[in-house]
Amino acid sequence: MTYFMRLARNSDINNCHGGHSILRTSINVRVLALQFLALALFAQAGAAVEPAKAVITPSTVQLGTFYGGAKLHIAGIAGAGSQVIVVVRGSSGAEVFNKVGRVGPIWVNTGKVTISAAPTLLLIFSSAPVSTCLNPAAIDQYQLDLATLKKHMQIETKAPDRDRVANDFLVLKAHQGTYRVTSGSVQLGAPEQGGLPYTLDFEMPRSATPGKYRVSVLGCRNGEVADKSDLDLRVVEVGFPALVARLARERASLYGIMCVVIAMVAGFGIDFISSRLFKRKVAAH
Amino acid sequence: MWILLPVAVMSIPLPILVGVGALVGFLSGMFGVSGGFLLTPVLMMIGIPPTVAAASDSCQIVAGSSSGAAAHCRLGNVDVKLGLVLLLGGLAGAGVGVRIIKILRAMGSADFVITVTYVIVLGAIGSYMFFESLQNLRRGALVPKSHRGSAWQGLLSRLPFQIDFPRYQVRHSVFVPFVLCGIVGILAAIMGVGGGFIMVPMMVYLLRMPMHKAVGTELFQILFTSAGVTFLQATTNHTVDLMLALLLAAGSTIGAQIGTRVGRLLRGDQLKILLASIVLAVMIKMAVGLLMTPTLQITPARGH
Repeated sequence: MTYFMRLARNSDINNCHGGHSILRTSINVRVLALQFLALALFAQAGAAVEPAKAVITPSTVQLGTFYGGAKLHIAGIAGAGSQVIVVVRGSSGAEVFNKVGRVGPIWVNTGKVTISAAPTLLLIFSSAPVSTCLNPAAIDQYQLDLATLKKHMQIETKAPDRDRVANDFLVLKAHQGTYRVTSGSVQLGAPEQGGLPYTLDFEMPRSATPGKYRVSVLGCRNGEVADKSDLDLRVVEVGFPALVARLARERASLYGIMCVVIAMVAGFGIDFISSRLFKRKVAAH
Repeated sequence: MWILLPVAVMSIPLPILVGVGALVGFLSGMFGVSGGFLLTPVLMMIGIPPTVAAASDSCQIVAGSSSGAAAHCRLGNVDVKLGLVLLLGGLAGAGVGVRIIKILRAMGSADFVITVTYVIVLGAIGSYMFFESLQNLRRGALVPKSHRGSAWQGLLSRLPFQIDFPRYQVRHSVFVPFVLCGIVGILAAIMGVGGGFIMVPMMVYLLRMPMHKAVGTELFQILFTSAGVTFLQATTNHTVDLMLALLLAAGSTIGAQIGTRVGRLLRGDQLKILLASIVLAVMIKMAVGLLMTPTLQITPARGH
């Protein structure tokens, strides 16, 4: 779109300067022709890669002491006539779960289940239902619904009921708030000369763990992804929680001693205060 | 207001955490127990992973028992010699218990074993307390059972390495408190409790110690056992959440003050039967969880 505007501005400048000589007009026509040719080639070759310009605010979520979820805002401009899908995706490392099975009358953990090729977090927001924005092949390619996600995930388990495990995984993730599909949440503005403005306000789940997340904004036209923009979103522990988590992981002995000493100091402190208060009450009587 | 628990990596509303601590503190103030055996299941019910709940509860008990032990020490209720024997047994048991938890976690059975141990221990203690208190209420007077001259006492007196504990005017083989406290130490590590609700009845009924002195010495011993369990859990399993422990300790301190005042309004057996009912209710809730078909057949294997 910026390219169109620059082109129009150049054309205006040329018109303002008059260009009375035939030679100059001829050069301008050639330049214009070349510019249109370049534009046509660019549009042909790069329709799917032209970024749907987007900005996420904030780009880093800080898990501080009083963290209870974070509100995020995404705004940008998509191509005219687009529907917009925003996908927030966590890393796809392996996650380990306990498999619960029946042994006699009680339900116990009967083994481990490792699920990989499924993101730790998946939030899909769209301006219209995903199935109306994209054709099934595109939905499958970008894994934009839970059915295609289930198809792509890899499950390592000795349990025979893999389908049940996959379904339970999706239900568990939805229950934790880390998998969510919400249509109609991306707000489209009035079309402008530069394209179609859109905004999205959403809350990062409280259960999102520290790490890197990829935010993809897809502009969809004619059942295909016409433009795509990728943003980085980081979730980091800061302040006291970061210090405690790092100590617990990396300096376990020091952390263990620290826990004991702090708890003892707190206990003796409470006793000291209580005994002083008690003495004061006795004195008052 | 929400608070982030750095080791559990989850946010919980601050009033809920302090409220849970205050509720358990209220009960412990009212009934004279440390309350750890109630706190871990309640934490599990609000979504804290069992391994983190149990380990952080041990840390919280360090705060509670150090406060209690200091108060009892001033009143002369702590026998340091017996306390040290109990401590050695408790630490040995805690070491074994933490290793057991590590093996069970590797097998994916730790949460199950913690829950089953709770159901069994809470069921046994709750039932015993309930029926004993009911009998006493029917009789209209508190008549402690006497174990003098029983086969158990005869067996204890024949064991080697008999030691005098003059403060309590009792004589025991050093193995008796050591082994008893070792068993309690294993349970403390597995269940994340101080073990007072098992240890005090053992000291009163099996070691013939006066109630108040038993409580004082038990708190002295539990302070060190819990400190040991906390350190071992932090270094072996990385599941101690300091933030969680401190918030629970803050809540329980306030609750204990209120509970102590309310407790004075009730008779001893009324208190015991009330406590037994709470213990049994928690046990039934956990037992139902084991027997009912779960909605999901996978659970997160959480904790660092």
